[in-house]
Amino acid sequence: MSKLEIRFAGSGGQGLILSGRLLFQAVVLDGKRAAQSQSYEPTSRGGFCNSDLVVADREVDYPLVTAIDYLIALDQIGVAPSAAMMAPGALVLTDARLVPEPPEGDITLHQLPFTDEAIALGSHRAANVVALGTLVGLSGICDRQAVGEAVREGTPKAFLDLNLEALRRGFEMADELDQGEPDGKVVRL
Amino acid sequence: MTETNPAGFEIRDYLRLDLMPHFMCPGCGHGIALRALLWAVHELGIEKDELAIVSGIGCSGRVGGYIDANTYHVTHGRPLAFATGLKLARPDLKVIVITGDGDCLAIGGNHLIHACRRNLDLTCLMLNNEVYGMTGGQVSPTTAETRLTTTTPAGNTEPAFDACQLAEAAGAGLVGREVTMQTPALRNLIKQGLEYPGFSFLEVISDCTEIYGRKNDLGESAEMVLSQKSDMRPEAYGNVADQPFRPNRLLTGVLARNERPEYGETYRRHADGVANGGKAGA
Amino acid sequence: MTAGMANLHGNHACALGAIAAGCRFFAGYPITPSSEIAERMSRELPLVGGTFVQMEDEIASMAAVLGASAGGVKSMTATSGPGFSLKQENIGLASMAEIPCVIANVMRGGPSTGMPTRPAQSDIMQARWGSHGDHPLIALAPASVKEIHDQTIRAFNLSERYRVPVMVLFDQVIAHLLEPIELPAAGSLDLVERRWANGDDGYQPYAAGADGIPAMTRPGDGHRTHTTGLTHAEDGFPTQDPDTVTRVMDRLLGKLDQHGQDIEAFECHDTKDAEVLVVAYGISARAARRAVRQARERGIAAGLFRPITLWPFPEQALRTAADQARSVLVPEMNAGQLVLEVERICRDEVRVAGLNRVDGQPIEPSQIARRIEEMAADD
Repeated sequence: MSKLEIRFAGSGGQGLILSGRLLFQAVVLDGKRAAQSQSYEPTSRGGFCNSDLVVADREVDYPLVTAIDYLIALDQIGVAPSAAMMAPGALVLTDARLVPEPPEGDITLHQLPFTDEAIALGSHRAANVVALGTLVGLSGICDRQAVGEAVREGTPKAFLDLNLEALRRGFEMADELDQGEPDGKVVRL
Repeated sequence: MTETNPAGFEIRDYLRLDLMPHFMCPGCGHGIALRALLWAVHELGIEKDELAIVSGIGCSGRVGGYIDANTYHVTHGRPLAFATGLKLARPDLKVIVITGDGDCLAIGGNHLIHACRRNLDLTCLMLNNEVYGMTGGQVSPTTAETRLTTTTPAGNTEPAFDACQLAEAAGAGLVGREVTMQTPALRNLIKQGLEYPGFSFLEVISDCTEIYGRKNDLGESAEMVLSQKSDMRPEAYGNVADQPFRPNRLLTGVLARNERPEYGETYRRHADGVANGGKAGA
Repeated sequence: MTAGMANLHGNHACALGAIAAGCRFFAGYPITPSSEIAERMSRELPLVGGTFVQMEDEIASMAAVLGASAGGVKSMTATSGPGFSLKQENIGLASMAEIPCVIANVMRGGPSTGMPTRPAQSDIMQARWGSHGDHPLIALAPASVKEIHDQTIRAFNLSERYRVPVMVLFDQVIAHLLEPIELPAAGSLDLVERRWANGDDGYQPYAAGADGIPAMTRPGDGHRTHTTGLTHAEDGFPTQDPDTVTRVMDRLLGKLDQHGQDIEAFECHDTKDAEVLVVAYGISARAARRAVRQARERGIAAGLFRPITLWPFPEQALRTAADQARSVLVPEMNAGQLVLEVERICRDEVRVAGLNRVDGQPIEPSQIARRIEEMAADD
């Protein structure tokens, strides 16, 4: 059985659980099986927060991540708990501003301005969706249309325009990376 | 001998006679309270099939079992919580809670204040005999200061609760107190409680002659009953009359009314609104 | 919620399973990590004419559930470790007075406040023996979101049929796990309704027929019975007569015995020829499933026995599954609880070992796989 493991890591309040949920809905719409879980510290804001996804082509046996294929880290606090769980060759996307010390090792790392881009779109709170768009754009975990549909279904009305814009910006960032830099090289923007 | 009275109240009609003789001690005031309750039930024409009695643990908890109705003898201190579930699930029933000073104010104190706050249509009859009688006579939250009990061998040093003030402050819809000496008045108070559409808290001053009275040399049953309203337990109550010749006379009758909506009604109206497409919902 | 595919959290699946089973009363108290069950019930119950109430504490919510159930309404509550402890007093009343009720316990690490947001499987023994005195009950341990939904329905069916408290035990991982599940169409479910007393002369509320389960009265039906936590005779009234007590307690404590086939649910994976048998439940069973599959790929005859019913434990089924085993491994997120029951059943034939974690982290497949290899090498 082929499976993929994805983690959104960072600090509570960054919308990581929403990102995980949206991607979950997108892959399920795409016809795959998935399980989304979360672990967090007992504070609503500020503690570490992991939002994890295991995607498989049939029922997921063990629903938690054990070897992460894709890590999106939006805050430094999320890096350490994940460092020992990376699959060899994992793709790691970190926020260029909020993760000064990204993970090292046998990974492909992109340090990207998710938060800055979100601020430019109107709110730092959309950084999670910019990152989601970049991840889907780069990895092809699911169809871009499917994640668009998930965002439309799963976003509160007040944030819908912002999130759709953030997703589109994420796709663009992925396209820029694909065209500009070969795989496997650390990219600093 | 058949007991009758002008109102046609026949207590045997409301008792499980095959359980007689009952377990209460000679002189215990709880039997008088039971009679007053059944008298009120009779005069209000409440059907036994629709009557649910919920009681807790202690001497008061055993009183409900003698009533020929749907009777629930539950865990210590929890009859109000049990009754809350029963009444919310079955608003068609008339639900009466019989509890005691320890059951209601000590182990069940949290349930009491929240039942008062919620104002669900329940009638709570707290039989206050100032002592844990069933367990042998330990101090209770309503034991007056200086009284002797098996756990206050040198006299009680803790202040006592005025349960009616507590219930009023917590928002009970109707609060009243009566003594077993005044059985018709007690019946009338219980009738008001049963008719009140909300939470009614009724404190019944009862007597434990066998344990508490004997330990404190309070006299025989008749003497204890006669002293109920006067000087027997003034220091236990903030809620007393300030009169020239009876400075500490216990206040009785309806002591407080909080005109508030009945909770079951409020919840069902809200739920109907949700079900019919109002706000909330999944 | 309509039938068809739905993406649900475990806690929400529990709430929807309850509604599907006919639950129309919920009383609860907020506690991590179970609160979403109460939150969902507060939204769902008004839609089906039911009642939700948040009580003043855990004790009150259990008592209110019993009150509502005594009134004839299918009722449940949900909680986690510390709240489960507080509910034990009234769980005992439910066992003694034979009042059906369902308790979902989303287990977390203990003792005391422990780690509220971290998963554990720490209440296996509390579920069985948390209330004082010998008492009949049923405990179920689902391992997926789908199974939480289905076992919650089953919990109501078992509770109504056998008049016992039924606990649904799961952990924070599956409580907060999001998985796609297929919701059954309304009307397609096999729901059990309580057997009501039929008004016969000489009816006794605690006298049972051959199946050991007395018919129940509800207030308003004219029976006017007495319900008490005191030891009571068939007529419902307290007794201390030794012969009567022996008779009624034998019936009460033994009433589930003849219904094992209906109550005991379990799953076997590759157990027929398993030399190393893993016995696991809940989230640990899902780790074990991957570990067993990996062991098989490496040529080790490993198998998994997954009890879904924990109490009463499916004893005979385990014996059968362990028939070829030389060693049995019991991974649990506690210091070793269900392993005691497995040892009791299997120790004469095989070596039984635990694999335990109490650090708030789930047991990983690789940990179990390593132990399977070690045990296979030892044999």
